[in-house]
Amino acid sequence: MAQTRMAICLCDPHQPDAPIIFANRAFRTLTGYDEDEIIGRNCRFLQGPGTDPAAIARIRAAIDQEDVVVVEILNYRRDGNAFWNALHLGPIYDAEGRLLYFFGSQWDVSDVRAARTDERHARDLARELSHRMKNMFAVIGGIVNFTGRARGIENEAREINERIQALGRAYETTLDEASSGSIEVGQAIRSVLGPYDPDGRRIEFRGNGLRSDFSAVSVLGLSLHELAANAVKHGALSRPDGRVTISWKRNGAANAPTIVIDWIEEGGPPLEPEAVPAAPASSSIVDKMMGMARGNIKREWRREGLKATLRLPLREEAA
Amino acid sequence: MTDAPWCVLVLDDEPLILLDLEFAVEDAGCVPLTALELGEALEIVERGHLAAAILDVSLGQGQTCEPVARALAAMGVPYVLHTGDLDRMDEAVRRLGGVLVPKPTPASVVVARALEAVPPISQQRTA
Repeated sequence: MAQTRMAICLCDPHQPDAPIIFANRAFRTLTGYDEDEIIGRNCRFLQGPGTDPAAIARIRAAIDQEDVVVVEILNYRRDGNAFWNALHLGPIYDAEGRLLYFFGSQWDVSDVRAARTDERHARDLARELSHRMKNMFAVIGGIVNFTGRARGIENEAREINERIQALGRAYETTLDEASSGSIEVGQAIRSVLGPYDPDGRRIEFRGNGLRSDFSAVSVLGLSLHELAANAVKHGALSRPDGRVTISWKRNGAANAPTIVIDWIEEGGPPLEPEAVPAAPASSSIVDKMMGMARGNIKREWRREGLKATLRLPLREEAA
Repeated sequence: MTDAPWCVLVLDDEPLILLDLEFAVEDAGCVPLTALELGEALEIVERGHLAAAILDVSLGQGQTCEPVARALAAMGVPYVLHTGDLDRMDEAVRRLGGVLVPKPTPASVVVARALEAVPPISQQRTA
């Protein structure tokens, strides 16, 4: 016990004020006190101005009830520096079950606590950021709406607003992992398409944890929004039993990886393959956006519905 | 009185969101009563005659809509909680119940959710 690297001390509860009667070398190293400064004193000499009275009360209660507990308590070294001590304490009995000593083992958990605090801080920050971003998108939506109303162009305003809100949803998913520099493609897809399938029965998602650089978010989010909005107006989602399957995967050569997204509609109004519908205005917008991102979209008008394949260069995190 | 349109309280500390919701309440055929902060909202609640309310949860400076929600709950007026931060929502507000509408949601949908909650008795009385 004298040589273990875990700091340990023994206190004698039968003497007045339960003094320390033994402290090992690790205890002396941890606290900075010499043996003659330790022996004969109650453990409370390690406490200081920042020590939480509630933690002291827990220790006191454990001693009164001869309980074994672990209490994290702010203690002070001989030089005045504070450290977080994970104090493990409990009774030691003799063969007849009579109380002999209390043991205390001390472990400096300052680093662990600091890491926990940092993590909590980062989480709070991400949440605040998310809150502000949602609020900002709500404000932008408000501006577009009342401008449209004042100008008598409510429909145009609604179309613009739907695009902006789709963008907002796509970005929202990125905030939780803001520090990682990349996004999970599937999460962004689900979040953008969520409002088009409130019951979760009409859009099937197939994909894995493919990740991409942030830059893919806007084009991907808006393109899928256009496909979904179109499906609601003219395609599979305009019929109660129509369905969409969307899948995403990584493809292409190792030096030129690609995100490939398949959008497959079924159960919509029947299409005549010969009579390919004239591209609606929003289609050309998707084509333009995909082209600007150095990707493309290919549409196949099948009898059972539209099949669209989107390709976008995959920019992975810099290694 | 029976033909009077419904009055809907709209509380949000962001003027532009308030403006958008005000229009949406008008578009739904109701009378919007807007409040930018707690004091204004409580005055409107005291005057009574509300059919429903739309309450932004976080009103800045650590304030929440809780006092307004309590007053409305006591009067039996339904409300929706319109918030961008469901996680951080005050536990007390959460306990009060009410329909949660996450921000951003189109203003017309927020208003529709608020009016859905109006009890049938009130609908008969005011319709």
